[in-house]
Amino acid sequence: MSSPGGAERPPTSEQAGRDERTPRQLEQMLSLADDALNYLSLEEMLSELLERVRGGLHADTAAILLLDEDRGVLVARAARGLEEEVRQGVQVPLARGFAGRVAAGRRPIVIEDLSKADVVNPILRQKGIRSMLGVPVHVEGRVIGVMHVGALTQRLFDEDDTALLQLAADRAAIAIDRARLTEQRAVTEIMQRALLPDDLPSVPGLRFSAKYLPGGSGVKMGGDWYDVFQLPTGRLGFVIGDVVGRGVLAAAVMAEIRAALRAYLTEGHPLEDVMRLLNELLVGMGRHRSATAALLELDFETGTLEAVSAGHLPPLVVGPGGTITFLELAQGLPLGIRRGGEYRSRRYTFDVGSTLLLYTDGLVERRGESIDEGLDRLRAAARRACTADESSFADRVYRDLLVEATGLEDDIALLAIESLPMGPRMEITLEAQPGVLAGLRRTLGRWLMGEGVGANDLFNITLATSEAAANAVEHAYGAREATFRVVCVHEDGEIRITVTDEGRWRAARPYGRGRGLAIMRALVDEAEIERLTTGTRVTLIKRPEPTAP
Amino acid sequence: MSTADVERHDGVPVVRPREDVDAANAAALREQLADCVDPSADRLIVDLGGTRYIDSAGIDMLFRLAELMRQRRTRLLLVIEPESHLARLAEIVGMERSMAIHASVAEALGARAQPSP
Repeated sequence: MSSPGGAERPPTSEQAGRDERTPRQLEQMLSLADDALNYLSLEEMLSELLERVRGGLHADTAAILLLDEDRGVLVARAARGLEEEVRQGVQVPLARGFAGRVAAGRRPIVIEDLSKADVVNPILRQKGIRSMLGVPVHVEGRVIGVMHVGALTQRLFDEDDTALLQLAADRAAIAIDRARLTEQRAVTEIMQRALLPDDLPSVPGLRFSAKYLPGGSGVKMGGDWYDVFQLPTGRLGFVIGDVVGRGVLAAAVMAEIRAALRAYLTEGHPLEDVMRLLNELLVGMGRHRSATAALLELDFETGTLEAVSAGHLPPLVVGPGGTITFLELAQGLPLGIRRGGEYRSRRYTFDVGSTLLLYTDGLVERRGESIDEGLDRLRAAARRACTADESSFADRVYRDLLVEATGLEDDIALLAIESLPMGPRMEITLEAQPGVLAGLRRTLGRWLMGEGVGANDLFNITLATSEAAANAVEHAYGAREATFRVVCVHEDGEIRITVTDEGRWRAARPYGRGRGLAIMRALVDEAEIERLTTGTRVTLIKRPEPTAP
Repeated sequence: MSTADVERHDGVPVVRPREDVDAANAAALREQLADCVDPSADRLIVDLGGTRYIDSAGIDMLFRLAELMRQRRTRLLLVIEPESHLARLAEIVGMERSMAIHASVAEALGARAQPSP
């Protein structure tokens, strides 16, 4: 570590003609205990601290550099008498240059004659600095940066100087650590809010619950995510995934994947193609981060589930009778590793009364344990979670598995989808936009099947309702956040559906409603349109043909 | 991304919507169909074999397209499975007045070249 020519050394106490100073006095000298420092922003606080250090040590310059762990460099953060260092964003690699050696060696270094020392930062020489003293800045034994002072005239910084500078560095460390925690918490919270679905969709007959827990102390943002969305076909898409690594970069990659997934799925690509496209995209972006993900599409009308996996853990399904299985996925390569990955989807049945559980490895993996042990534990937890209480399925599984787990290192994301019986009355409120029609038809189809309505009547009632709903959407045209309500009742051998909107009755258009009305009238037994003061209500009545028991 | 797959059989475009045709995607499908109208082909075939529901917005779109094609001396042919829900719907709205309805793509391809009814 020592530089050629012996210009650099540990501080010594041999110093003639200086005051005898105690650390207490040193501290007073720097007024480091000044509470006012606590109320400054980190920037101001560091600046003020460096100013006091410079005064207290009769130095000409003072600076603090912080370690960027990802890149292994020290970056100038604040300086006095050396402001260029910060403005130019000076970076010193670890173990190189003056500051780099202080950080790597975790000990103070004194340079009496800079002209003979190895220095990375050209500003130090340009400024004409002759002598320097640097100390490490540490938090809980970890070096997070370096604080140094410099003198334009040659001098030998001694032990007292070192003690004083170390006091200042320790003071800075506390402030930096606190500011970082606050900042990271804020970033984590913002990212999570931005990256995880605001609220899960409301689909009659389905219940969603989810849980997301960042690992570590809550500031080491991870790359786990889940997502739920309506596809243009009216089916539902579910995603669970895990970007390898931690930190804001992992979260950023997760955000990219999530956006790309939504785009590909909304465009109507088959699942296998979505995975393939996503893999090519990730490899092409050169992020050097891989991810595992499972992508599922549920047709809740027919109870068909399609799934494709890129190295993700198998989703768990609790069947209507309580049987628990893991979906045997055709595993494809994790995303982002290499081009040309192929993905195969498989189909499964997902009957009414079933629950699907998607999760990331943080839920099941424990140090020193095989993955099978973790999956067995999940299986047992899912079984116990079938006993309902006021909390959600995801919450019950999560509590069961984590009640005794401590010091979780990894993130956890889980998403549960329960398929529930619907009963003879169903009510649904939808956004007044045409994209909801396909989902409405599937929801209605599922309800009618549950009510034992045959295929012909199912088609007729569903299409007639879809026409009424399309009218409601048209009435709301241009209105922001307009909704309409569909109420379906099966009573006394009669299916009665009302579609109520909040829009004014618009003038008839040359096409569309005329034919829509004719279709409704032809498909159901009764179709009535009422103009209410608040909007329009369409009532459709159909007495379905009895079906074979 | 389109809402339908397009194939050509001996130069005749055959467009097969992937899903339902409704107010949400009728306009996009119309664009796609209009792009397929080819002066060199005497017909455009829309295969509704993969479609479960088609609502009034979709039906209106087909009627208007059939009229446009008639003016251009080409024809719009629909493929709808006989006895299906869609066949009954086509009957309710009188689609056969504006476009020929065939039971299969092969049948539509083999249909005699003649002006629209």
